[in-house]
Amino acid sequence: MKKTNKFIYAVLIAALTVVGACSTDDLNPSLEQSKEGSEALATVGDMEGLIKGAYNRMSSAAYYGRDYFVTNEVRTPNAFSNGNSGRFVTQAQFAYLPSGTFFWDEAYGVIAIANILIGADLTTLEGDQEYAKHIQGQAYAIRALAHFDLLKTFGQEHTGGTLGVPYMTEFKGEDNIPSRPTIEDNRSMIMSDFQTAFELMSEDYFDPSKEFMSKYTAPALESRAAVYFEMWPEAIAAAEEVINSGKYDIVDADNFVSSFAVDGAVNSLFEIALSGTDNQGSDSMEYIYRGESYGDIEAAPNVLNLYEDSDVREDVLGMDGEMIRNMAKYPDREANIPVIRYEEVILNYAEALYRSSTPDEAEALIQLNKIPEHRNATPYTQVNLDNILEERRKEFIFEGLYYWDLLRNGMDIEKIDPQQNITETIPYGDFRLAYPIPLIELDANSNMEQNPGY
Amino acid sequence: MKNKLHGFLTLLLAFVVQITFAQEKTITGTVIDEDGLPLPGVNIIVKGTMKGAQTDFDGNYNISAQSTDVLVFSYVGFKTQEIPVGDKTRIDATLGVDAAALEEVVVMGYVSKRRDDMTGSAVQLGSEELQQTPMASVDQALQGKVAGLTIQSSSGTPGAVQNIRIRGVSSLNAGTEPLYVIDGVPIINDNVGGATSGSSLSALASINSNDIESMTVLKDASATAAYGARGANGVIVITTKSGKEGKTTFNVSSYYGFTNNAVDGPEMLTGAQREELFYEGVLNTFGEDYDLTSIEDAKEFDTNLLQSSYGRSYQAWNAAGRPEGNWEENIKNEDAPIQEHVISATGGTEDHNFYASLGYFDQEATVIGAAFDRISGALNFSKQFNDKLEFTSSNNASHTFQDGILEGSAYFSSPHTAKYFMSPIDQPYNEDGSINIGTGLPNPLYIAENDIDQSKLTRILSNNSLNWQTPIENLTATSRFSVDYQVYNYKRYRNRVRGDGDATNGYGWVVNRNTATYVFQNSLNYLWNTGDHNFDFQVLQEYQKYRRNYISADGDQFVTDGLTNLASAGNPTLAYSEFTDWAVASYLGSASYNFDNRYVLDLTYRREGNSRFSSDNRWGDFWAVGAAWNLHREAFLANNDMVNTLKLRGSYGKTGNANIDINSYQVLFNYDADYAGTGASYPDTFGNEDLTWETSYTLDVGLEFGLIENRITGSLAYYTKETEDMLLNVPLSLTSGFDTQRRNIGRMENSGFEAELDLAIVRSDDFNLSIGGNVATVENEILELAGDANGVEIPVINPDAPSGTQRSETGSMVNEWYMPTWAGVDPETGVDTWYVNGVDGETTTNYNAAERAFQGSSALPTLTAGLNFHVDFKGFFLDASGYYAGGQSTYESWHLYLNQPNLYSAGIYNGYASLMDRWQQPGDQTRVTKMIYGGQPWQYNSKFLHEGDFFRLRNVTVGYDFSPAINDAIGLNSGRIFVRGTNLYTWVKDDNLQHDPEVEQLGFTSIFTPPLKSVVLGINLNI
Repeated sequence: MKKTNKFIYAVLIAALTVVGACSTDDLNPSLEQSKEGSEALATVGDMEGLIKGAYNRMSSAAYYGRDYFVTNEVRTPNAFSNGNSGRFVTQAQFAYLPSGTFFWDEAYGVIAIANILIGADLTTLEGDQEYAKHIQGQAYAIRALAHFDLLKTFGQEHTGGTLGVPYMTEFKGEDNIPSRPTIEDNRSMIMSDFQTAFELMSEDYFDPSKEFMSKYTAPALESRAAVYFEMWPEAIAAAEEVINSGKYDIVDADNFVSSFAVDGAVNSLFEIALSGTDNQGSDSMEYIYRGESYGDIEAAPNVLNLYEDSDVREDVLGMDGEMIRNMAKYPDREANIPVIRYEEVILNYAEALYRSSTPDEAEALIQLNKIPEHRNATPYTQVNLDNILEERRKEFIFEGLYYWDLLRNGMDIEKIDPQQNITETIPYGDFRLAYPIPLIELDANSNMEQNPGY
Repeated sequence: MKNKLHGFLTLLLAFVVQITFAQEKTITGTVIDEDGLPLPGVNIIVKGTMKGAQTDFDGNYNISAQSTDVLVFSYVGFKTQEIPVGDKTRIDATLGVDAAALEEVVVMGYVSKRRDDMTGSAVQLGSEELQQTPMASVDQALQGKVAGLTIQSSSGTPGAVQNIRIRGVSSLNAGTEPLYVIDGVPIINDNVGGATSGSSLSALASINSNDIESMTVLKDASATAAYGARGANGVIVITTKSGKEGKTTFNVSSYYGFTNNAVDGPEMLTGAQREELFYEGVLNTFGEDYDLTSIEDAKEFDTNLLQSSYGRSYQAWNAAGRPEGNWEENIKNEDAPIQEHVISATGGTEDHNFYASLGYFDQEATVIGAAFDRISGALNFSKQFNDKLEFTSSNNASHTFQDGILEGSAYFSSPHTAKYFMSPIDQPYNEDGSINIGTGLPNPLYIAENDIDQSKLTRILSNNSLNWQTPIENLTATSRFSVDYQVYNYKRYRNRVRGDGDATNGYGWVVNRNTATYVFQNSLNYLWNTGDHNFDFQVLQEYQKYRRNYISADGDQFVTDGLTNLASAGNPTLAYSEFTDWAVASYLGSASYNFDNRYVLDLTYRREGNSRFSSDNRWGDFWAVGAAWNLHREAFLANNDMVNTLKLRGSYGKTGNANIDINSYQVLFNYDADYAGTGASYPDTFGNEDLTWETSYTLDVGLEFGLIENRITGSLAYYTKETEDMLLNVPLSLTSGFDTQRRNIGRMENSGFEAELDLAIVRSDDFNLSIGGNVATVENEILELAGDANGVEIPVINPDAPSGTQRSETGSMVNEWYMPTWAGVDPETGVDTWYVNGVDGETTTNYNAAERAFQGSSALPTLTAGLNFHVDFKGFFLDASGYYAGGQSTYESWHLYLNQPNLYSAGIYNGYASLMDRWQQPGDQTRVTKMIYGGQPWQYNSKFLHEGDFFRLRNVTVGYDFSPAINDAIGLNSGRIFVRGTNLYTWVKDDNLQHDPEVEQLGFTSIFTPPLKSVVLGINLNI
């Protein structure tokens, strides 16, 4: 009997211990993979982690990892989708619907992180304040670039409207259902952010890997934006800033094809870091251009007439069975993806010089010819818009720039080859030249306005 | 608290000491029944001790006791009687039949109740019913048996997760799965599958259905009240078999049989048909611009000008003599074997008993490359230390192996995908008989031999309790400790040559996950009877903790073929580990009262704290009130031969739901990203300190009846459930950098009727015939959702359904289908048309210009029914059951690629044979459009939304129960032999629904593992 009692005591005590243990605090969850917001930004090191988070979001397949480039390329006469894996047919047909988001969510995700960094009170952070400023500078450049991409894709500039995209300047800000400001507003914000980025970044933190933005990445991107906005003096100034830095060079003819397999090449101003352990796998550029199970993107036959035989850029094209393919750019899934190369800055410069209200045609021709001279191609004898655009098309084929060159010059999307996914030429001004605002954005934000036609 | 308890113990001791001083004497007597016949084997014990005796064959007994003792006479089926000894030395007893004891007892988790005492809605299935379904996972047996319960299988892969919904869906973004309770302990039975791209694996599939005594489905607030905080989606209570006193008996049961897909699915185009469509597409698309007028023109145009890769493939195919690929036949595993063998033993004496079993289940999939097996053992043991203290331990250990496949999407390497997506002009084999790896999509014959997707789950469930009959009469204390320990391994390998690993020279991935769930439970139960007043009080305290350790790694660049572990991967690409946990603490109080078995009143209160909410909002209060009136116990019905049972019951209560991702309330930054080889962080969770329980209020009223010697039994019920403060993922403007924020907002309502009816048409010794069924309705409406800063309602899009095809708005059903409404194929032009306003009237051929509209249905059935039939004659028997689900709509997956006459179906993949009905010339009336060279974008529209109503014959069993003569001759207690067919017949309302109508809960047809039909031959022997 006594034994039993002892046993019962033991059980009751054990039971009581468990009862006593169940207080509110014992229900606190572990947090071993995440940090609470209040602890996430305490040092300059935390800023570095976050800016990498922004770059990482830029590298997603929906944005610079693949879709942003390929969607633009496949909407030009350069390429078409054979639909082998069902990918990019819709985009190539200009048949996208508001049910998709394209890179709207990714770009604003990038902007959100940039805004956390821009909004950070540096004085409260432990660490090197100069480096903190440099990171903030990158954040400004990233914010400008993401908004610029959004504006081009979703804005109404080429469809006859005036609306741009919401320009977000605050993380978790007051206005959580922003409306669309005008293209004008967007333009001034973008240009201003690029300039702030340039001012905040320091040459001391030049990144030779090119996987992070450096001081001169900002004016390089600014020259792209200024050309797009036809702000020629700004484009000239920005391009000269990059050129005069002396940090970059045009890649020469012998190394042109191989330069795409080299990370941090001399001509690279900024590229998306990819590696053997961090890449988009079957959603990579390489796999959509050449993959055995995917490989949806083929070059249209008309590109075979682009190059003269001596031009090293012809080697980018190759035959895969009966298909004409991009065989050189994005050579494998581990290769970094260039976002902006020095050659573009040169051509931006040439175009701005030529199209400025006080044109300098002689200098423009010199700048323009720097590219064919480095490609074993015949230099131009005169500078004009056709030559500039043709050179840009040859240089940046499969890199997604041609689409914007057509639109910013008010040109149609021509149906040249029967293989192209469009059935007929899409005239400039067609509503399909602007992407639809995603439905889920419209659902959640009653201030948002859809583009016409959708 | 401590002081009080101290006083309590002291009192008990005083009581114990007091009784030890009394004097002992021998008592004799005889026990008879109400007819005066002696009762042998009656247990007589001295109350509060372990002293006992049994009556002999003549009903006589003797026992030693003290004059202060009380003798307790008990015998199965009779009312227990207590007689104080006093100064008597002879005590005779007459035991009356206990009608209540013969009644069904419903196991409700913490407690069991007689039918009469139930105030809530519950359905219980016994072991025999559970074993009628030869399937890996025991929950599959519930299909069609419980009014208001629907099962939507995520896949027909053996062991895959079954999505069970009780009385519809009562939450929009929090979990909608019921709570599982095994032997009184809440158990997590989630999908344990390691890869979203692979087969799911239900933790429940690790339990052998032969080890289960009963399954009870608790539906309303009163029945689920004890689990109130997590009971909003209903509760499924599983009770494992326990030992039975007496001579040890052995049970052997075995079956072996064959499975095939229950429905064949759409027939596909042959190569010849596909070629015909292709050139017709070239003609239709380029005819006008290039002056083509015939198929011959089109061929010439394609060969010379278009030079398409598809045309070249056809030319090569023609040169090879037009061989048909016949992929469906090649990937099939026809008559895939299924088998299960179980041996169990049970026995015991007065003070201990045991149940032990060993089981083996094995099933091959109906396609190449997939299989499932499970080996399981159970040992349930109960020991009566003395008359006060009993120890019970239920232990279940199993090892489950699933050789899975890629599924969940149109993964090119899946064998199921091949039937639909592989071009019929691609050949499975080369001319020399070797596997052709040069196919457009990876050849599944090669993949099945060279790729690996394996899940291994080892699960140990141990549930231990100590039950103490305290010295206070009728007060029992129970302490319980349970652990559910799972070790899960997943291994994936992609070969170097062809398929998903060909671009990286092979790919390997492994996952190792350990989870442990502990439950501590302490309860006190007190019964108090005075006169006709019967009270049953319970207080209970429970603490549950879940811990999960997860490690995964992957790598590529394998050195050689045939070595598939990461040791041979030259380039490790991922190393990942994490730890997560959650905890729940609860306190429960319940009181049940009945007056003379006529009036029943139940009160239950549960307070529960959950780690998913911030410390200020962690605790929730839940309660239920239930009442019942047993009219058949009333004098006016007491001796009525027509009405044997008549009961009215009703309940109302508040239940909860906290089934959301852990840590949702916290503002979180994650660190699992990387960039340029270094770690990166990002804001991950918006956070919401105010987050707390989602609650539901359920009203349930019902009527139960049994007429004409209970030959007609049945029930009727109506319920209405309003869910409030829904744990909604409120969509945010994406410009914020977030897509949603979890908030408590919004309301929805579910209501419906349920009826059950069983008829025993013939009841006799040699011949029985019965028929039964159930029917249930469920109606769902969203009452309120969140608004944005302007106060404009934000509709909720189901993120799992593509292109916003399922949407919830105030006034709609939860996840109602939402898309443009198809208006037919224009007979003049052969293109699809849609209603401009989404409903009727003007039509357009521009998909973009057609309004999207609610389609008036969701993926969830609104009317379900089950039907059972039984007949036996002299040991021969036939059982059949079936079920019906209706009112739901089912969307056809992959129609862009497979069921639209375009380049996908005729040039790249393959299409349904029904595409041959395409429009060809003005005036053609058909639902298949004109063939084109090109591909439309994804245009989700009601053309591909089909009525999902179906009836399925679930089981037909024909068998023979051995006669006593046979049993005696071969030394058996009982024996049975049977043939059982499962899913033998399926009726589908809508002919356009060519796939199996029983689809996953999302409501999209599946091209991977459909439900199976099987025929098995089985034998059960009890020795």
